[in-house]
Amino acid sequence: MSVMAMRQWLTVGRRRVLYACGAAILLFAVGNVLRPGFAGLASVEAVLVVASFVGLVAAGQTFVILIGGIDLSVPWILNAAAILLVTSSLGENIRAPYALLLTLGMGALAGMVNGLGIALLGVPAVVMTLAMNGIMQGLTLGLSGGMTCSACASYAPPLIQQAVHDRLLGIPMALYLWLAVILIVSFVLSLTMFGRATYAVGTNPRASYLAGVNVSAITVTLYALSGLFSALAGIILVGFGGQASLGMGDPYLFQSIAAVVIGGVYILGGRGSYVGAAAGAVTLVTLVSVLLTMNMPDYGRSITYGVIILMLLLLYGREEAGS
Amino acid sequence: MLQTVAADLVPAVEGIGLSRSYGGVRALNNATFSALPGEVHALVGENGAGKSTLIKVLGGRVRPESGTVRVMGENMSFAGPHDAHRAGAWTVFQELTLLPAMTVAENLLFGRPVRNRFKLIDRAGTERAADALLNGLGITYIDPRALVEDISLAERQVVEIARAITQDAKILFLDEPTSSLVEREVEWLFRQIRRLRAAGTSIVFTSHRWHEIRNIADRITVFRAGREVGTYTELDEDHAVTLMTDRRVDALYPARSLLLAPTPTLEVKGLAGTGISGVSLTLHKGEILGVGGLAGHGHRELFFMLFGAARAAGGTVTLNGRPVRLRRPRAAIRAGIALVPEDRKSEGLLLSIGIRENLTLSVLRRVSRFGVIGRRREQALCRQMVDRLRIRSGGLGAPVGTLSGGNQQKVLLGRWLLTDCQILLLYDVTRGVDVATKHEIYDLMMRLAGQGKAILFYSSEAEELAHLAHRVLVLREGRVAAELSGAALTAERIVAASVRDHHAV
Amino acid sequence: MPSEALADRPAIAKPRRRALTHGLTQNAPVLLALTMLIVSLVLYVAIFLLTQHHLPGGFEITTTVNDTMPLAAAAAGQTLVVLTRGIDLSVGGIIDMSNAIAAVTLRDTPASMSLVTVMVLLIGAAAGLVNGLLVAVGRLQPILVTLATLSIFQGIAIRILPQPGGSVPQIYTNILANPNAPWSLVYIALLGALWWAFRRSSLGVAILAIGNDPMAASSNGINVVRARVMAYVLAGMLAAAGGLFLAASATGGDATTGDSFTLRSIVAIVLGGVSLFGGRGSAVGGIIGAFITIMIANLLFFAHVNQLYESFFEGVFLLIAVVAASGIGYLARRRA
Repeated sequence: MSVMAMRQWLTVGRRRVLYACGAAILLFAVGNVLRPGFAGLASVEAVLVVASFVGLVAAGQTFVILIGGIDLSVPWILNAAAILLVTSSLGENIRAPYALLLTLGMGALAGMVNGLGIALLGVPAVVMTLAMNGIMQGLTLGLSGGMTCSACASYAPPLIQQAVHDRLLGIPMALYLWLAVILIVSFVLSLTMFGRATYAVGTNPRASYLAGVNVSAITVTLYALSGLFSALAGIILVGFGGQASLGMGDPYLFQSIAAVVIGGVYILGGRGSYVGAAAGAVTLVTLVSVLLTMNMPDYGRSITYGVIILMLLLLYGREEAGS
Repeated sequence: MLQTVAADLVPAVEGIGLSRSYGGVRALNNATFSALPGEVHALVGENGAGKSTLIKVLGGRVRPESGTVRVMGENMSFAGPHDAHRAGAWTVFQELTLLPAMTVAENLLFGRPVRNRFKLIDRAGTERAADALLNGLGITYIDPRALVEDISLAERQVVEIARAITQDAKILFLDEPTSSLVEREVEWLFRQIRRLRAAGTSIVFTSHRWHEIRNIADRITVFRAGREVGTYTELDEDHAVTLMTDRRVDALYPARSLLLAPTPTLEVKGLAGTGISGVSLTLHKGEILGVGGLAGHGHRELFFMLFGAARAAGGTVTLNGRPVRLRRPRAAIRAGIALVPEDRKSEGLLLSIGIRENLTLSVLRRVSRFGVIGRRREQALCRQMVDRLRIRSGGLGAPVGTLSGGNQQKVLLGRWLLTDCQILLLYDVTRGVDVATKHEIYDLMMRLAGQGKAILFYSSEAEELAHLAHRVLVLREGRVAAELSGAALTAERIVAASVRDHHAV
Repeated sequence: MPSEALADRPAIAKPRRRALTHGLTQNAPVLLALTMLIVSLVLYVAIFLLTQHHLPGGFEITTTVNDTMPLAAAAAGQTLVVLTRGIDLSVGGIIDMSNAIAAVTLRDTPASMSLVTVMVLLIGAAAGLVNGLLVAVGRLQPILVTLATLSIFQGIAIRILPQPGGSVPQIYTNILANPNAPWSLVYIALLGALWWAFRRSSLGVAILAIGNDPMAASSNGINVVRARVMAYVLAGMLAAAGGLFLAASATGGDATTGDSFTLRSIVAIVLGGVSLFGGRGSAVGGIIGAFITIMIANLLFFAHVNQLYESFFEGVFLLIAVVAASGIGYLARRRA
């Protein structure tokens, strides 16, 4: 490839995906210096599995951020999904399919309500999803009696636990699932009418509407998908950990947004890819692991997080101004 | 004495060798201009000749890429309009700069409100001062306590003008100040201009209404293609038009396509809604039906209603004999209607996205199977259209925002041609487009009409309408004020019908 | 004015709107918030009467006011930022920080108390300055900047006060959040008065103007960068004040109690009729919104609604308020 062609191929978006991947590799190297073996297979695998949870939530977040929206209802849709899965399946394999459908349906429905409020009632995305987060939190806490219900202590059905933990060719199933999600989401975004319309709406909703794009339908679908992915993440998490708990969704709001931003998705919409967000998730989780190996206390991680995101934003911001 | 005379000779404002480009189009090309104290100086020229850009540069809103701006003989470098204000130059831009959620009084006295002894703004006092100011100017119908967003466009224009003319400015720029004013407000404005001229203010204004220019201008500078043609103290309209266009006008336009045995396709009866009332028209296959009139008289609303992008409160629309309800653009597109809107950058194109994506946005269904886009099919379709319309670019993936205005407009037209639309609503389709592309667009319109497509064509340039359209409807205050065809279809008649005095209140 | 102009009589005479209707339409959002507050108050009193068999008394009023103060301060700050078309998610982190610092450093001497108060307010301002510079000079998205600084401020707060604890002198509590009488209403009045003056200052006008239309604002000579930075600085300072009120009423510190204030401050300003699209709204609305938020919680408590459902109802009320506000605004515009 000639230098010219190379430059053309290396768009701002692609450059950011590379930055994110590069940062992850660099972090592994740093971690390996701090604690030999950090870049070993087992450790990399562990990081990737944790990153896959963030990555699933980030898929939904990518969808809505691509149209300039945001989904703040992630934490409690995720948490509600985790609890709904265990309480509806009661840990029995026979109930697992029903519980799965119910849980995913619940997530999609909550997301759809978000989308309807935003697209049809004109409620700002921040307010709508914030309110939805409260609504889901209240419903979850209230209906489960604050996790005191007898079914709340149930485990995830063994089938689902196995689906997360089992290995195929030595690799955990969770990673196959994530890979499938990466492929499907990337395919949908880059090669389908739906993806095309999504970028169009994110770039200029008014012009898209005047070009005949069904902006409302796209918006509602994207928020429904975000809800669906939050619910899916809840299911995987509960399959991974075995049981549901209160507050398990809280870290995922910040992390999903951070992953999307690190991956180069433009917060005002129209630009970015899910591959970037996935790379962002890996970077973020690697960073956390490195900080953990350094025995960095909670507060230090929190501060480092913030500082790194600011640095990336400044880097990207300068690039934007330059181009 | 000699000193005074010399001082008098110093122009109030000068622009020397000014250049400025927008997306490849040279809006100002080495332009030079000067205005003297105590004169009313009119700037005339076609749309896109560079008048507005000149005013933006002299008024401090836009920095020139090269050239010098002088005020009272001193070199200036304006970082923003505020710097110009400090130098004594105030501008009423075409895009109003009032703050919508603040009151008329706050806007009118922005930066100079009445303050109490704690240096805080005395709102009641400011309102009283604004009231006095407005009354002093003879405006008693605007409530200084009303929010700007609650008053009419004409009233906002009056407030904007009132703010600028009460600043004791040495130089006043007015960019199309009369475009949304009714006759009496225009008279009011001219009285103010005469008063300021008598006080030694230099007033530079642009207008498309020739009788206004004749009425008030001391000197006229003609602009063409981004620079001045000349400055005149006496200039009749015919001569001005020749100077503004500098070519035999007829040669510029292609021959009208023939309209044989016209069959109606789009029939509109009594269409009403925000901005228009009782508009009826019939558009025939193969016809170019022109719509003329001044900006702000309902054209935009009419076009949006016919495209399903604005709600009609009454009236019927019939398409090929069948009544249709156009509730949203999607429905209109499906019915075979296409719209090139006024502002292609915000309402037409997706600037940061590629040509390919822009071209096929409305026909994705056609290039897709089961929702998956057929890249090869899409590529072929786009290449075809790019060749057909001679869109010049750095490739199908180039963001549309990097193209020149003319090529952008072609991309938008190309999108609609891909939809196989039968009715094209073209809103000022040649605005901000270079001359060569203008010709191409004219030719394209003729070819499309020849193929039997129906075109509803609004243009802010009466000449364009007179030469391209088979018939022209003139809208005034949301109604069809005149229908011109045959020998009666001239630019002068269109202009006359657009601005005829209107005394109804 | 020359007499020629005076002779120029009206082109089109329109009757001017009456002062009363005029005031009503212009302050519609605040009035709507006030109506919601009154409705929630009436409901609260009714339910209180039904369940407790007496009217709410001094104790209830005092608790409500003291509960509202931290949120009212945070909401006033959030209003300033939102008016500039921004958003400040770091409010919770700043409250955490100031709360923690106050709990760790306050001593029972007048000098310590005044010094710490000033120091905490300055730290809040500095935190806001960081936000403001990154947003206005760095040209970064407010939502991302403040999300990142939220994380940083929260980290710092936990570093200062790893476990809930520290102590706040009784006198300090009595001054800021007197448990015996609703003295804190004085601070509400003070906040209202400050807003009144701010709205009439050059900076206040500048902040409103950039929210209205940044282009027009800069054409009118407003230093957009400076005004935007100042909005964040003041928001940081007000959030820090909120942290002090919180520490005072809790008589101790907790580096995580502030977290919920990010979202609650947004809820409060939305209830108070501040437009998230900038340029419209007042801090008074934000303060009223804070009261409504607290009243809703009280209402649910005394209605014996299972406390676990509290956030459900808050979410529902938030949506109802937003939809109602935009609906009423729409109707009012159409009528006018």
